[in-house]
Amino acid sequence: MLRFDATQVLLKHLTDEPVVPNLGPTADELWHAGDRDRNFYTYGSMGLCSSIALGMALSVPDKIISLDGDGSLLMNLGAIASIGRERPKNLIVVVWDNEMWGQTGGQATHTAFGTELDQVAKSCGIANTALVHDLEGLDGIFKRALVEDGPWFIVAKVEDPPEPFPLCPNEPEMTLYRFRRSFVGQEIPRH
Amino acid sequence: MDWAQTIVKCLKAENISLIPYVPDISIFEVTKLLEEDPFFQLVPATREEEAIGIAAGSYAVGRNSAVFMQSSGFGNTVNALASLCIPCRLPIPLFINLRGEVGEFNIAQVPMGRATRPILDVLGLPFYTLDNPETAEQIISGALRLCYASREPLALCMTSLLHRGKLA
Repeated sequence: MLRFDATQVLLKHLTDEPVVPNLGPTADELWHAGDRDRNFYTYGSMGLCSSIALGMALSVPDKIISLDGDGSLLMNLGAIASIGRERPKNLIVVVWDNEMWGQTGGQATHTAFGTELDQVAKSCGIANTALVHDLEGLDGIFKRALVEDGPWFIVAKVEDPPEPFPLCPNEPEMTLYRFRRSFVGQEIPRH
Repeated sequence: MDWAQTIVKCLKAENISLIPYVPDISIFEVTKLLEEDPFFQLVPATREEEAIGIAAGSYAVGRNSAVFMQSSGFGNTVNALASLCIPCRLPIPLFINLRGEVGEFNIAQVPMGRATRPILDVLGLPFYTLDNPETAEQIISGALRLCYASREPLALCMTSLLHRGKLA
């Protein structure tokens, strides 16, 4: 399944749930699939996507969706252990697993050699895990994850598009400002 | 009021309630107070960079968050500060126990302890050293206010002169 098609499947089910996409093509494709105030695009900090989502899930009741990647998550496997320790019911981690570092020349990652991230999640105490290979499988499990308590950890085997999508706007300050404003409103400075 | 209670008071004054941290024995006194106080939620991270990510997510949804760590782990946070916190303008106060200062016994702690403030400096991030319990409240409360006004990370470096604690 193409990652962009998979992204569209997720968006179809969302209203105002916050989404944190991993840097690079995941963020770019989310922007093209549907830009929203509650997309917290990341532009760097590889490996921290699901950690950012964990911080959100511990702080507000909304269902929080992390769109992580295999290469990024491999950089911060401790994030899975921390999610397993805290077990926020409102966190859904979706890993777009293309089994490669797509931005650096397509080198195979460890998931191409047997690392099973859903099994890592299970062993960290995350009960609701899934491994899906097609859009129907993703659609079904994601619908469940939105209504049933988590944390959820869904690994979706995806493929990159034949041609990369154009980059999303590189506006980190704007991203934080409009995302945060959707929670706290317009802030007035104090003396 | 001792230094640990001072930190708790200053955090509350800025409504900072989520504390991702990597444990450290010298500042155990303050993290223990935070753990016992229902106002705070402590989140142990496996590594300092992860703690920055958790704090960033918390602030993004409107909850103030500060990170506690030791200088030996500060190096792990550099890319998170440089490529997430600074570009997004995330105000995250960093409470760093500074090793390698007077009284240090472990040579392995000296280089990173000594490098911590210069690294903050080249990142363009302000830092204040806490080495006197008498002036701690004025410095911490002022620094936290500055952090949210400037919307950038800022470090409070705690030395053994502040906490007189065990160094290990």
